[in-house]
Amino acid sequence: MASSSVRRGVSRLSHLLQNTSPLASSAHSCSGRCPGLSSGELAPFGSRMASSQIVRNRMKSVKSIQKITKAMKMVAASKLRGVQVKAENSRGFWQPFVALLGDHPDIESKKNVILTISSDRGLCGGINSTSVKFSKAMFTLSASEEPAKYVILGEKGKVQLQRDSKKNIQMVVTDIQKMPINFTQISMIADEILKNVEFDTIKIIYNKFGSVVSFLPSVATIPSPEVIARESEAGGKLEQLESYEIEGGDSKAEVLQNLSEFQFAAMLFNASLENACSEQGARMSAMDSSTRNASEMLEKLTLKYNRSRQASITTELIEIISGAAALEAAS
Amino acid sequence: MVLSLRVMAPNRIVWNSEVGEIILSTNSGQIGILPNHAPLLTALDMGVSKIRSGGQWSAMASMGGFAMIDNNQVTILVNEAEVSDEIDPIEAQKDYEVAQMELAKAEGRKRLIQEEEKEPTNWIDPLSKALTFVNHLPRLQE
Repeated sequence: MASSSVRRGVSRLSHLLQNTSPLASSAHSCSGRCPGLSSGELAPFGSRMASSQIVRNRMKSVKSIQKITKAMKMVAASKLRGVQVKAENSRGFWQPFVALLGDHPDIESKKNVILTISSDRGLCGGINSTSVKFSKAMFTLSASEEPAKYVILGEKGKVQLQRDSKKNIQMVVTDIQKMPINFTQISMIADEILKNVEFDTIKIIYNKFGSVVSFLPSVATIPSPEVIARESEAGGKLEQLESYEIEGGDSKAEVLQNLSEFQFAAMLFNASLENACSEQGARMSAMDSSTRNASEMLEKLTLKYNRSRQASITTELIEIISGAAALEAAS
Repeated sequence: MVLSLRVMAPNRIVWNSEVGEIILSTNSGQIGILPNHAPLLTALDMGVSKIRSGGQWSAMASMGGFAMIDNNQVTILVNEAEVSDEIDPIEAQKDYEVAQMELAKAEGRKRLIQEEEKEPTNWIDPLSKALTFVNHLPRLQE
């Protein structure tokens, strides 16, 4: 494919050289027609076609891109190892909540809040778009009298959701990844959210880390204390809560409130860690495929370069020989 | 009959074994848990819990959390916890003093940040006016 376009370029150029006399103008016009030359870039004087110089420049830039993406992949791999351990340890933290309260994504609620967890930096494959797609789907699914509200963690999610759902965004938190995620930081964020956002349920949307190649978009549902109290009466979904003696506060409602807040912080902690793992894993595979693409491109460019080099050598030889033959014929 | 106890912090499992008796400190007092206790859900205060395992009592300091007891399974979720035999008293004393200094510094900075939060409203209005003026200037031809 590359060679045929090169040959076409040669025939176009030879047509030009026959029609226009001065060499300078042919250099100018060939910069518009020559494949491989961008506008404004002049072929060096005396060169004939998709010049080897230009292909060489392209090869240099593709090689440096390849090195950069390879380095980014290794950085992502080492970061992944660190976060993965934390994520697995945090899984045990929210499981007792699910054992006690169960997971009821279909719980009745009027004020829905959708908490989307996304990354701050890009180049991490499709995980942010997946999260945003799911958030929008949740938004339409949870349509009740009041439209649902968004709380967004992470720069990329904010950018994508701002485009069409700007008026539904209640709160945005960015730059979380400046320091490694820990529980204190997450409980502060959870505190802020609980203070400023009214909700019946919060649905946390994140990418659960399955393995280095599999990221599962998941939703964790957290009911508010009032909903817990309502559902724990007879006939509700949290009926088994009634069998527990509740101590440790002035009233059952106070304990349930603390419980719900703690559950929210624990779930958010696990969700952020899992999403961070998925981000690193997705970045690893994205950088890996771009390194592979870069080496393929480099191979094609090398062939192109060699052909152009050989073609220019051949044309010079032809000129010399035809000049010598013309002299001989004249004498 | 024994109780199977799991104590979990956000980043690690602090205790995971079978014990004979637990004494928890909640904000309504101390509760003793023996095998075959009724199902219980309680909030824990920041304090020391005592655990008897194999005739020996050990203490565990915890930074608040929740305890759930059901069917001889005790699950305690805490913000942070340390078992007494992992704690070195001299280091703990040093950490305490460092923490007190940091707290004093943080309080000072918190007050500074709160003062700064009142400031921005002074310069945001003229800045936004300047920006809207710039946007309305005719664009230069490229």
